[in-house]
Amino acid sequence: MADRVVHSEDTNYITEKRPKETWRERHTGISLAMIFYISWKNLKVNRMRSVLTIGGVALGIGIITFLLSIGFGMQRMIVSEVTKDNPINVIDVSNGNLDSIISLNQETVDKVKNIEGVQKVERRVNTGGKIILGESQTDVIIYGTSADYLNMLKVNYQGNGGKFSDSENNAVISDRLANLLGFTNPYEAIGKKIVYNIALSRDVSSKINEEKLAENNETTISGIAMNTDSAYIYLPFKLLEDNFGVDSAQEGKVVVGDMEKFDKIKQQLEQTGFVTSSINELIVGINSFFDTVRIFLIVFGVIIMSISVMGMLNTLSVSLLQRTKEIGILKALGTKRMDVFKMFVLESIIISLVGGFLGFFGGYGFALLLNKGLIILGHRMNTELSYFVYVPAGFVMAIAGFVMFLGIITGIMPAFRASKIHALEALRYE
Amino acid sequence: MAEIIKEEKTIPDDNFRKNAILGDNVKFSSDFDHHSKGEIVVSIKNIHKEFVLGTNVVTILKGIDVDIKRGEFVMLMGPSGCGKSTLLHIVYGLEPPSEGSIYVEEESIWDHSKNWRAFFRNQYIGFIPQQAFWIKSLSVIENVAIPGFVAGRGYKESIERASKTLEVVGMKDWAHYRPFDLSGGQQQKVAFARALLLNPKFIIADEPTGNLDQKSGIQLMDLIKEFNESFKITVLMVTHNPEQVGYASRIVKMVDGKVQSDLTDRAEIETMKNEA
Repeated sequence: MADRVVHSEDTNYITEKRPKETWRERHTGISLAMIFYISWKNLKVNRMRSVLTIGGVALGIGIITFLLSIGFGMQRMIVSEVTKDNPINVIDVSNGNLDSIISLNQETVDKVKNIEGVQKVERRVNTGGKIILGESQTDVIIYGTSADYLNMLKVNYQGNGGKFSDSENNAVISDRLANLLGFTNPYEAIGKKIVYNIALSRDVSSKINEEKLAENNETTISGIAMNTDSAYIYLPFKLLEDNFGVDSAQEGKVVVGDMEKFDKIKQQLEQTGFVTSSINELIVGINSFFDTVRIFLIVFGVIIMSISVMGMLNTLSVSLLQRTKEIGILKALGTKRMDVFKMFVLESIIISLVGGFLGFFGGYGFALLLNKGLIILGHRMNTELSYFVYVPAGFVMAIAGFVMFLGIITGIMPAFRASKIHALEALRYE
Repeated sequence: MAEIIKEEKTIPDDNFRKNAILGDNVKFSSDFDHHSKGEIVVSIKNIHKEFVLGTNVVTILKGIDVDIKRGEFVMLMGPSGCGKSTLLHIVYGLEPPSEGSIYVEEESIWDHSKNWRAFFRNQYIGFIPQQAFWIKSLSVIENVAIPGFVAGRGYKESIERASKTLEVVGMKDWAHYRPFDLSGGQQQKVAFARALLLNPKFIIADEPTGNLDQKSGIQLMDLIKEFNESFKITVLMVTHNPEQVGYASRIVKMVDGKVQSDLTDRAEIETMKNEA
């Protein structure tokens, strides 16, 4: 029986304290699965309209994905090219035009090594000289450095198992120098002894008061630096130090162990008097450029998506008008306002998600196809192209979140209107 | 509303022609076994209804008092505009009265929230409109199952129940058609099946045969009458058709927003029928 008995004579029944109503517990309403089912069936029955609306969303998301995936890919490709030979944790230091004030001697190297976060410091001295092999002789740049420095420079040298020893009297010469010395095949120079003259000045040695030339020094070629366009030779810094009193270098590389301290270390080096540069600055510049490009793409995308949103709103509004009687009968049969609301929002979310899914994979797929086509074309024209299409995980998440948001926002207004329709008015609607 | 959901029991095996088809699974309320036939289930107390049209206030109902007893087949009759449908909608919980109360099983339905009334309509009342309204994307059987979905029941359970109910009204062969593929008479039978789905205690019908040909109208009325008699389902029906008075156990005639006559005497009803 009823929770409470009210007699018609009871004129105060409205003000009486009612027992807690139980419909909340009982009237669970339509399950979400059924709301989804009805929304899906409604989209299916209006197939052409649904396809066109979903197509509009797919086109918008597809264009955004296409453009941004190329944008992200290009950025990644350029950054990867730039950082290929230049690790991002290395700060290049030089004395710039201040050679009289600061130089990379053992004292300053030790000082730099003591900066917190610095992992390693390597230096390179350069001076002029001459290489003599039999009748051939040529002017060259002589570098004095370490094997680690060569590794950091990513010098592609070969010979003797690819080693350049800091403690031996050996040298790596450029393939260009090998050619000038008469070796058609640069590798034939490996193992050959050569004679070199080296120019020494106060810039490279504190022990020298005036410029002089140390002549007729011998060394053995242990490797060839390939793909070069100038004549130069690498000798171990230690060899130059021991034999000619070289103790200062013009440039060096500071390897940072803790990237969080990168900026601070760079700042300290500059305060010491060094001129610094790092690939990070270039990367920041590249990223800044692509950020600007992306803003333009996003603005473009927003314009496209606005058109898609209008399409969705139009579809949902038409659907609302066409289904007014359906809403009426659903409400007459006991459907809660919130369930009607959910029905329309869910329909909008379905349109948005399906459109977003198709658009994302369509746009990404098309970009990949274009990329592949250009690579094949490049091969035919003897040009090597790499993949420049890339979608970061964050972008995928952002697109997924965006289409979900789009679905909810677009669906709210028609859903609200639908939920507010009075059952009787809806049933009378013509 | 404790009574709305209550223990159910299997249909009695005796005088119901579809029992063999229904089997044991379809259940109907058992409360009729425990109540006297004279119990008042719907009490319409001093109902007034006014509509504001522009600057004018139009009074449609001018103090209606009717008590409907369990198992009655009440026909509301009267000329167009006398307020029959408005009264029906007020009882159904769709249109609020300007004054007065509706008590259903002693519960004043207009003192509750909209969601409460939605639940009440879903669980307690079977509704047959003049023109059957459908969710056009759903099949006949799915449309019949809608009250089940609305009540939060699962698809399978609601469909099984809808299938049995369609069988009861003789429309099972049309279960997988689209509702609009059916004739008007068939659609109204399906609408009746939908009204029966959740085993209502009370059926409200708003000129259910208004759009039907004579033969279809008779078939539908026979069906409603059968359920009224077999299960003591109370029926409140609006009709313009005097030929249908023979189905009623009570005729409430309305004129100009008031009850003009309230006939319960079988002989008087038969006289009316013969006059028609």
